[in-house]
Amino acid sequence: MATLPHDDIYQLVREPIDMAALTRHVRAPEDGAIVTFDGFVRNQSHNRPTLYLDYEAYQSMAFAKMREIGAQLHEKYRIHRVAMAHRLGRLEIGETSVFIVVSAPHRAAAFDACRFAIDTLKRTVPIWKKEYFEDGAVWADGELPPAPAATPRAKPAS
Amino acid sequence: MPLAPPRSAGYNSPVPSASQAIRVKVLFFGRLKELTGHAEDSVEFADAATIEQLFAHYAARHPELAKYRSSVVASRNQEFAAWDTPLHTCDEVAFLPPVSGG
Repeated sequence: MATLPHDDIYQLVREPIDMAALTRHVRAPEDGAIVTFDGFVRNQSHNRPTLYLDYEAYQSMAFAKMREIGAQLHEKYRIHRVAMAHRLGRLEIGETSVFIVVSAPHRAAAFDACRFAIDTLKRTVPIWKKEYFEDGAVWADGELPPAPAATPRAKPAS
Repeated sequence: MPLAPPRSAGYNSPVPSASQAIRVKVLFFGRLKELTGHAEDSVEFADAATIEQLFAHYAARHPELAKYRSSVVASRNQEFAAWDTPLHTCDEVAFLPPVSGG
């Protein structure tokens, strides 16, 4: 469990996410609002019944990207604390795969920050899920993270 | 994974300064891991190389990989990187299919 200057928490875990503990962690007397996002395993995908999901991550980079998202939240929104956890490995239907909780003095910033966090996580954090069905398994359709198109050209020597 | 052809010079020969050999760690994830058959590899280039050339090195060995080129992003040392990024020795490069966390 890493603690940053903001006293945020970022986790990649193989056991169930302790949502209550993370929520308690961000809650402080100076706050007036907490917004949580609880993403959990759906029982079907494109109308095919799902058996279970298996998540894998590029762990060192995923962790770094999650912390980057947290830093962006503090820059963009008047929030207090962030806790963000993603689970890896096999997850059954209904189990929480990702949990984000943001505290703030006022609700608007907490809502906006939580929404930005999950949207950005899904686009930029290197985590993949494989969906298992009765008749096989597929890697879930994902989003291609934004990457630089080209390295900056070196300036010609003057 | 077979590496670039061994240099004919012995290990004790001085490496010419103009063409420094580089060794990079390479990681594959998701379907790319299944396609190449490994999660992690190490490869040596006798000379300067870019991420694009590194990918081509594997595409030559796993022809199916080539068709994923447009739906892969690369990272160098845990940062998203452009395909023309030059590699340095000890770099960690990863080839990442579209991400689907959450």
